[in-house]
Amino acid sequence: MKITVCIGSSCHLKGSRQIVERLQELIAKNGLQDQVELAGTFCMGNCQNGVSVMLDEELLSLSPETVDSFFETRVFSANQG
Amino acid sequence: MNNLCADIGYRSLFKHGEELCGDRVEIVEQGDSSTVIVLADGLGSGVKANILSTLTSRIISTMVAAGISIEDCVSTIAATLPVCSVRGVAYSTFTILRLIENRTAEIIQYDNPRVILLRDGKHVEFPVSEMKLGGKVIYRSLISLQENDIFILMSDGCIHAGVGMALNFGWERADIISFMETFSEVGFTAKTLGTILLDECNRLYGGKPGDDTTACVVRIRKREPMNLLFGPPSDRNDCNKMMSLFFSKEGKHIVCGGTTSTIASNYLGKPLIPKMEFPDPEIPPIAEIEGIDLVTEGVITMSKVLTYAKDYLADNESYTQWSYKKDGASLIARMLFEEATDINFFVGRAINPAHQNPNLPINFNIKMRLVEELSDCLKKMGKRIKVNYF
Repeated sequence: MKITVCIGSSCHLKGSRQIVERLQELIAKNGLQDQVELAGTFCMGNCQNGVSVMLDEELLSLSPETVDSFFETRVFSANQG
Repeated sequence: MNNLCADIGYRSLFKHGEELCGDRVEIVEQGDSSTVIVLADGLGSGVKANILSTLTSRIISTMVAAGISIEDCVSTIAATLPVCSVRGVAYSTFTILRLIENRTAEIIQYDNPRVILLRDGKHVEFPVSEMKLGGKVIYRSLISLQENDIFILMSDGCIHAGVGMALNFGWERADIISFMETFSEVGFTAKTLGTILLDECNRLYGGKPGDDTTACVVRIRKREPMNLLFGPPSDRNDCNKMMSLFFSKEGKHIVCGGTTSTIASNYLGKPLIPKMEFPDPEIPPIAEIEGIDLVTEGVITMSKVLTYAKDYLADNESYTQWSYKKDGASLIARMLFEEATDINFFVGRAINPAHQNPNLPINFNIKMRLVEELSDCLKKMGKRIKVNYF
C-alpha cells in the first residue's frame, strides 16, 4: 500500500506536515513499515480540496484532524491479518 | 580583466547611549571592477562625530574615485572640516582601501587600527611606506590581490572592546587576528565575517559599547554564476524554450515551485523525488532531480529567503539560522548570499489557479513582488542580477 501526501505550497499551508508526521508516527507505532510506503509529491493540481492524499490510486482529501480516523479505517484495518 | 571580484560588507555598533554613529563607511564604485572604500572615525561621538566622519568619508571617496592625489584629499579635508569647539581641532581618522581592476589594492591609513590582511586563512603583514602630510603621518601600501584575500578595516572601537571590563587593555589587534583566522576559510560572506567580529566586540563591551565600533570586511573571490528558475511560463508552449535557456546557463541551477519542478523533471527525463523531512516546520520539504543542484517548493520558501535577505542587509542576526540549517529556504540563502556573485532569475508568469483563493496567503502578485524585492536585496549585497520573464 502506498500513501502519497501532497507537500506543495497550498497543502503545506493546510497542514500536510502534521499529516506526514502523524502518519510516520502511526506507521512506526503499528509496525507497518514493510506494508505501507509513505511518499511525498509536489502539487497534484487539487489544491482547493487539500490536503491532497493518494491512497494507491484513490485521491482523498485529509486534514490534520481526520488523519487518525483515516489511518484506522483505511490503513490499519487493510493491513491486519 | 580577471575573474576576481570583491565581496564587501560592513556594520557598526553605536556607542552606548548614542543615537548616531560617529564612524562611517563610504563605498564608491568606479566601473565594473574598481572600488574605493573609506572608513572614517570622527572625533568624539554623537552628532559631531557623525558629521565629521560623514564629511571625511564622502570627500575622500569622491576625490579618490576621481583620481585626485591623496595629498590634495587630505588638505581639502583639513580645510573643510569644522573645528571642534571643545578640543580646538578638526579631526577624523580614516582608512582608504582602493581596489584597482580587482588586481591591486592601494591602502592608505591615517590613525585607525592597522588593516588586517588574511591570505589563505593566515595573517600576512604587508609593507607600508610612511609619508607626512600637514603634520599627519600617513601610511600607504600597494598589494597585489589574490583569490581568498580578506581585508579587515576597523575603527578603534574594535581594539578598545572590553577595556577595563572583560580585558585590561582591550581586545588587541593580535587577538583579533587569531580570532578572525579561525573563521576565514569557512566561506562566510564579508558581511557575516564583520558581524562575527562585531558580535564579539559587543560581548566584550558587555552589550554597552564604550565607543562607536565599526568593521568593514573585503573578501576577494572568484565570480560564481547561479541560476534560479521560479514558476512556469505564462504560455505553456514556452516550457521547452524556458527550460533549454535555463539549463544551458553556466553555474549551479536552483528550481523553485512544485509545478515548475515537474516541468523541469519532464524536460530532463529524470524523476522528481520529494524528501519527506521537515528541518524547519514552516518550510515545505525539498526534492531531488538528477542534474539540478537544488529543488524546493515555491512561494513559501522564497518568502522566507526574502525575510533572510532583508535581515542580512540590516542587522544580519539570522545568519545563525540560515548558515547551517537544511530547509529549502536556508539552502537557497546560502547559495545566493554566500556562493553566488552573478544570479540569473528565470521567472515564469503563469498564474496558478489554485493559488487565487482568497483564503490562501499566496497569489500571483505576491509572487511577482517576491522576485522584485529579492533581486533588489541581492543587488544591495553587491550581486549582479538579471531577471528574465517568460
